[in-house]
Amino acid sequence: MRSAAAVCVLVALAATAAAAQQPNALGHWELLVGHSYSSARALMQPATFTLEKVEGSPLYSVLDVGALVRGSIAARSWIETGLRARAGSARPESQRLYGAMARVYRELDPVLVAVGGEYQADGGFDVHSLDATAELTPLGGLPGLGTWVSPAVHLRWRPWIGAAMGDGVQPYVRLSADWVQGRLEAGVEETAWLVSGSGRSYVKGDVSVQLLGGVFVTASGELGRSPPTWVHTGRIGLGLGFRLAPGD
Amino acid sequence: MRRKDDLGHSWTNGGVERAVIRIVRRLSPGFARKRITKKTRLHQDLGWDDYYPLRVVKPIRATLHEELEDRAVLELKTVGDLVACVWNAMEAPA
Repeated sequence: MRSAAAVCVLVALAATAAAAQQPNALGHWELLVGHSYSSARALMQPATFTLEKVEGSPLYSVLDVGALVRGSIAARSWIETGLRARAGSARPESQRLYGAMARVYRELDPVLVAVGGEYQADGGFDVHSLDATAELTPLGGLPGLGTWVSPAVHLRWRPWIGAAMGDGVQPYVRLSADWVQGRLEAGVEETAWLVSGSGRSYVKGDVSVQLLGGVFVTASGELGRSPPTWVHTGRIGLGLGFRLAPGD
Repeated sequence: MRRKDDLGHSWTNGGVERAVIRIVRRLSPGFARKRITKKTRLHQDLGWDDYYPLRVVKPIRATLHEELEDRAVLELKTVGDLVACVWNAMEAPA
């Protein structure tokens, strides 16, 4: 319960701080819904309700969804605050994930810098972490970085380098790539951390076919260890995806 | 009708459109100029991701002498939106 309260406080503080910076900010805020709020691919990947197969376990149903609210705080800066949940009717508590974050971006062309705080917990709130994060990505400048490689090759990628500071300092790098062809979308995201001197990595991918508007049929998978539990997971799933974002 | 940028230079809407399209084209390698119009969608047609539109801020400041807000740029959907954003930021005649 205390952890859940911390989540609410974090989000409320972020929203309040943003609103205080810009009195008429409510008119400039936007809501986005997708698979995750926290990564470079957050708004590309549809939120999903899937049936999945986990290594050594029976078939599970999984709801994986994130919501993000964005607003301005200055000409060159903006703030995002969000919630995410990975749950499901038959999913073990240890493999559920809840999180909240607030992050401020500062554009310093040719790079974009983001600093923020993130809270993550497992389903029972037995394992949780509260980290400060700082990360950076180049806005562009290399073939395919942030934009399609060419008019004929609809492939793009984006790297991030950062560090999470909570229980020690955990540097990480993240690389994501997207491919879009008509109604077909595919993407992969790999994150690698250095935790207490040893490397840990986590990769997730998805292939989606757009049915109508923001509704997709999505096949997704993941493999590796991710915070806060760092428990090894491997799964594949198939289900419905949905995405709510400007332009959809 | 003409408007003035922050340095007092006079622009027509067509001049702003041509300048913006030149900037967008430089940021979209491989796309022919004739393929980029006011209707061109930044994300769907050019493949710009969530953060790539921020790359227009610096050249617009250098060429059109207007300071665009990052969040406004991130909400743009088409080249026409960007033209309108710059045009609306310019000073209209009294």
